[in-house]
Amino acid sequence: MPVRVAESSAPSQVSGAHSEESSPPICSLLTVGQAFSGTQNVSNLQKEEAWRVNVRIQGCDLEHGYLCGTMEALNVPMADTPVVTFWEGEIVDAKNYTFYTGKWEATPEDDIRHWTKFPSFAPLLSRVEADGGKSLDLSNYPYIFMRWKEQYFVNVGTDCGLTIAGFYYVCFSCSDGSINGFYYDPNSSPFQKLELKCANEGRSGFSFSSYELQ
Amino acid sequence: MPTTTASAVCTTVGNNILLRLTSGERDVKLKALRELKNQIIGNRTKKLSFLKLGAVPAVAGILSDAVSAVDVADNDENDRIVKDIIVQSAAVLGSFACGFEAGVRAVLDAGADILIQRGCLVEEMPLLKSYMEVVDAGARSLKMIYQSKMAPKYDFLQEENMEFLLSLLNNESENVSGLGASIISHSCKTSLEQKLLFDAGVLKRLTSLLGGSLIQRDASLESIATIFKNNPEVVSQFVGPDTGRTLSCIIEIVKDRFARTRLLASLCLIVIRNASPCYLQDVGIKTKLINNLLELLDDPGRVGDEASFAFSSLIAEKEDMQKLAFEVNGVDKLYNHLQKGSLHPRRFEGILLALADMCSKLECCRSRCLSLQVLKLVVDALAHDSSDVRSAACMCLRSVSRSIKNLSAGSFMNETIVIPLVRLLDDTSTAVQVAALGAISNIVVDFTTRRSTFIRLGGVKLLVQLSKSMDSTIRLNALRALRNLIFLAEDKCKEEIFMELTASLLASLICDPEPSVQEQALALVRNLVDGRINSVEYIFAEDGIILDAVGRQLRIASKAEIEIQGMYVLGNVATGKESHKEAVMDQLLLRAENKAQSCIIKFLQSNDSRLRTAAVWAVLNLTCSSSPGSSGRLVKLHDAGIVSHVKNMVNDPCLDVKLRVKTALEQFNSFDDSLV
Repeated sequence: MPVRVAESSAPSQVSGAHSEESSPPICSLLTVGQAFSGTQNVSNLQKEEAWRVNVRIQGCDLEHGYLCGTMEALNVPMADTPVVTFWEGEIVDAKNYTFYTGKWEATPEDDIRHWTKFPSFAPLLSRVEADGGKSLDLSNYPYIFMRWKEQYFVNVGTDCGLTIAGFYYVCFSCSDGSINGFYYDPNSSPFQKLELKCANEGRSGFSFSSYELQ
Repeated sequence: MPTTTASAVCTTVGNNILLRLTSGERDVKLKALRELKNQIIGNRTKKLSFLKLGAVPAVAGILSDAVSAVDVADNDENDRIVKDIIVQSAAVLGSFACGFEAGVRAVLDAGADILIQRGCLVEEMPLLKSYMEVVDAGARSLKMIYQSKMAPKYDFLQEENMEFLLSLLNNESENVSGLGASIISHSCKTSLEQKLLFDAGVLKRLTSLLGGSLIQRDASLESIATIFKNNPEVVSQFVGPDTGRTLSCIIEIVKDRFARTRLLASLCLIVIRNASPCYLQDVGIKTKLINNLLELLDDPGRVGDEASFAFSSLIAEKEDMQKLAFEVNGVDKLYNHLQKGSLHPRRFEGILLALADMCSKLECCRSRCLSLQVLKLVVDALAHDSSDVRSAACMCLRSVSRSIKNLSAGSFMNETIVIPLVRLLDDTSTAVQVAALGAISNIVVDFTTRRSTFIRLGGVKLLVQLSKSMDSTIRLNALRALRNLIFLAEDKCKEEIFMELTASLLASLICDPEPSVQEQALALVRNLVDGRINSVEYIFAEDGIILDAVGRQLRIASKAEIEIQGMYVLGNVATGKESHKEAVMDQLLLRAENKAQSCIIKFLQSNDSRLRTAAVWAVLNLTCSSSPGSSGRLVKLHDAGIVSHVKNMVNDPCLDVKLRVKTALEQFNSFDDSLV
């Protein structure tokens, strides 16, 4: 959730490959309760700045390509406390969502420009340019692509000086649970990077809990 | 000056009528029958009074005598009176049975149903003159009996019964054919019976009755629905040149001017669609059905009461139908009816259940409900006198609280909702308790710090009490709620819950006779030991009885869901300190009786990828490179054959398993090569 700043950016081109069709794998590191921590780069032309960020997954509905959770930004200069937001994610699964956003002021060109910043997207590019990736088989692909959109501030008012107008293009690595993302907001600095690693919160190894809605 | 009371007058009149019923004079008897019929028609109180005076057996006796007295050789005048007596006594008995369960019971006890059938409806009648009148009277009366659940089951498997039924259906009289249809609606329950009726060709006749009188149409719609209900085989055999015509005919009737007929036609189509979804796929028809049922809610009577139940059966479990219904403002329309207040309990229940179905899968419906403030009315309904309404309100709340977005915002964890819900945990009705547990299970998945509200209001005490219930459904649902409550709970919250639960109760629930209870108990422990590292200590309370119970269950369980939860418990404990990891090793290396190898090997080879994943995670956590004792544990795992099994999984078909195995192998290789 960066500060509002003017920006400009340029597209890039990459070649790609093929596949068949399906949905992303269930990955045990992308499940409810999982925590991730790292940084959000909020640098602009004037200065370099990064916030520490913690993310926790709260909800997951693969059938509908839906994910949600909270994002906590620490050491935010204009805030007295960590700032927590609630976000909802769209999982690019060729069934519910494609690589093309179709909203939030993101054009197909913006989409390609951001997805190609992830090396793991390269093999998929040509198919995505052809049909948005609808015919892609992502079931055995070890990366999950998502868009995360913050919906509201949990613990501060909207006058906190921060914006949640944009959204993140996100790439999740199934093998080690690392997350990379780029914030997109036409009114903010471009390509503000989110880098998170799966957190084991003081344990040696990974612990998993779950709930079941009735 | 004393005056006689109304009931005394009634008794006097009643006794007078009954006295005249016993007269030897047929004229007197006939007149008394007519008077009795006029007294009781549409009058429940008088039916009850005459019932108490023994009217039913008396009239049944008269009918029996009259049937025996039918004599071909007798003169026309006597014949006419006997026939009239049969008609009137059948009418009286039918009237007693009409919408009056005590009356039905009395009529059946007197064997009057059999009397009427034999006396009025068997084909061989000595005189044809007033045949139809008798047949009609008998048919009308039997129909009233067959509208009651208490009516005897008609045995379709008996050939002569089937023949008799067909003769009724083929009769021109709407009362007689209507009786045939009523018998089907009442008694056809099994798929075998449905098949028998279908094979006997009743559908053809029923279809032709769709073009008959109102009575025939309604009766036929009900019967057709009964024959098709939940029977895809019969529906698929329905395919043929006649199908399109019948379906079109029923679709037309959905627009009938009579509300009850519209409802019955809708129900018929719903039954066909639910049994065989390949029919009635057209969006136009689906929308027509939805709109028809939503409009029928406006009917002030029983049709309006039942319309919401029909709506539920149309949309339940079907996201596409729920979406269509949402698009025609279904949520708003249901809400508008709810707002009317002072609803008949049946109607209230139906609308709440319809809303529950609307919100079961779609977030847009839940959001709409929340924005309309439906919850205010739903929460009020939690305290309704009718247990069915209370149950339905809980189900509605359960559906709406599937909204993770709102659970995250803590929208439900407030006193207005929690207090009445917690109260229902003590409800006299088990069904209400179970329904309340369902709603609570969702509401306690709260990501704010408001779980303490639930604890403070006594929720945990009640849940723990219910987890000890003799009723396994209650135990299971209480545990589900506790499991969800403990998910990501704060330390203080966990402590309070654990103190209430106790280690010994948890250990016994892990070994519960019901597998699904075992599964939930293990899932609860899994959540309990997650979170801050000191949470792992809970499993060691009371000399480690919980850990022992987990290990024991893993060694004997055969259900994947139990094994998965159990493995995650051990896997979670294995992320703790050295002593925790060693305790997990002890459990894993303990053999079950007659088993040559550790249970984890069986899990690594499971067909269920979730179980394989859980097992690999446990191995990963035990051999975590940052832990000093990992190399020693790796040797033991190797000696137990576990490491080689993991190595064999390098090309597992499940990506998640494959990736964990890859990490495990990298981890193994990071130790001294000579170890493995």
